[in-house]
This record gives sequence, structure tokens and C-alpha cells, in this order.
Amino acid sequence: MRGVADAIRLTAIMVSSTLPLVITYRDAQLDALGDPTRRAILAGLRRGPKAVGELARSFPVSRPAISQHLRILKQARLVLDRPAGTRRLYELDPAGFASLREYFDQFWTEALAAFKRRVEGTQPTRRR
Amino acid sequence: MTTMVDETTDVPVRKSVTVNVSAARAFEVFTAEFDSWWPRSHHIGSAPMTKAIIEGKVGGRCYSEQTDGADCAWGTVLVWEPPRRFVLAWQIDAAWHYEPDLAKSSEVEVRFTPESDGKTRVDLEHRHFGRHGPGGTVIRTAVDSPNGWGDLLALYAAQAEGGR
Repeated sequence: MRGVADAIRLTAIMVSSTLPLVITYRDAQLDALGDPTRRAILAGLRRGPKAVGELARSFPVSRPAISQHLRILKQARLVLDRPAGTRRLYELDPAGFASLREYFDQFWTEALAAFKRRVEGTQPTRRR
Repeated sequence: MTTMVDETTDVPVRKSVTVNVSAARAFEVFTAEFDSWWPRSHHIGSAPMTKAIIEGKVGGRCYSEQTDGADCAWGTVLVWEPPRRFVLAWQIDAAWHYEPDLAKSSEVEVRFTPESDGKTRVDLEHRHFGRHGPGGTVIRTAVDSPNGWGDLLALYAAQAEGGR
């Protein structure tokens, strides 16, 4: 996946100049996403909010372990929690999920700049 | 509350650039001469790309040729209205693999509008990100890839600490 590395390298250069603050919580996100159970929890929350008990039933780990994972995901701004009666519901945090859009924002800025350089740098006669 | 995620990811990316050529020329360079300007770093294939191609017709393929001889598809032309507008399906999934299902692909529309001084405004809109699935998938797969976010952050740190 050379392309991924290249694309990420390019993004890194662009991100470094335009989005320095975003990185702060991304660091926490990376740590949070380094664990397969936490990634599975996120996948489980894609269909909607769930309580700890519901999540715990889907995984071969204890309920306190799930709670600990949820705390880490919450600190990383990947999930939100809110009270619902006697329970607490967890759901995906939209703030932590804007990465794709953010990526393409930078991606197209770069691509259009390259297009402008090219289109204005050549005569309107057919090249080659 | 998953709709909150959808609303966030489905805000289109809009970019504009004004170029000092006619709409016809701008359209031609953007599409037929796509290879002459497309950044070489922007590809998804398994090997470095040698040529980037948009086939100029509805249903036309968007793909890159690679040094290993394989073609790497990444899109399909949905609307073809030279010299004013075209729309592509962006068929790259969150793991940077080709997505054959158009219903799971985002769209890129590019419009070319003549301005009074002979220039052309190029408006690009990349929309329907939600069709790729929640952005979390992107983060996850980027992290999973050998050169994922860790690489990015290392580079970021080097860049940030190196000053500007």
C-alpha cells in the first residue's frame, strides 16, 4: 500500500501547516484505536447508542473491562455518554469522526492547486 | 443518534479555483489531460502509478496505470457535459481499496463557469461521504495499515518541531 503511505505523508505535510490543534486529540484517538476490543466496540456503536450491559454481552470480556474501554474511547472523543433513566448510553462522537471530510478538504486543495499550475503553465495548444 | 455522525460526515467538501483559460481548455486539462497534473501521491494502487486516466463518457472508467503493469480503478463517470460539468463516482473505500458498489461511493462534481474576463471558475464538490460508512472506519483502517496514522504523526511531529 505505497499509495496509502504517500497519501498520508502528503496529508501530514498539509495537516502540519493548517491543523495543528486537531492532532492533540488524535494522539489519544490513536492510542484508543490501538486495541481490537475498542475497535469492535466502536463498530458495535455504529448502529446506535448502547448501554454498557448491552455491549458487554457481545464481547468475551468483563463488564468492568468494557467500562474501562469506554472511558478511554470517551477521553479520545470517539464516544459520548449520556444518562438514560437508570442507565448510561454510549454513542459515537461525531466530533471525532470528521476525519474523512477533513482529509478530502486538504486533498482537493492540493489537487486544484496542481491543476491551476498546469492549466496556466501551458499554451492552449495540444501538447506532445 | 447515529444521524449526528451522518450529518457530520455528509457535509460536502467544496473547493473553487479560478484559472486564466477558457472553460473548454480548463475542462480539457482537467479531464483529457488529467495525467498531466494529478499529484502522483494521490493513488490507491499497489505500485507507483505511471498514468492517471479519466475516460470522457458516461460510464467511463477512472483509473491509474501502475509500474507493475496492473490497472487500478478508482471511479466511474456518472455525468459528462463538456465543457461545463462532469460528475464522478469516487469508488475508494475507507481502506483505500476499490469499491465496486456505486451506492457505497461518494461523488465528485466539477463545474466550469466562464467569467467575464476570459477566466474560468472551477467549482469542485465532493459529497455523500456518509455512503462510505462512518468516518470511524477510516480512522480504524488507517491505523491498521502499516503506514497509518503513526507514520503521519511522526512526520507531523518532525515538521512541527522543525519550525516553519
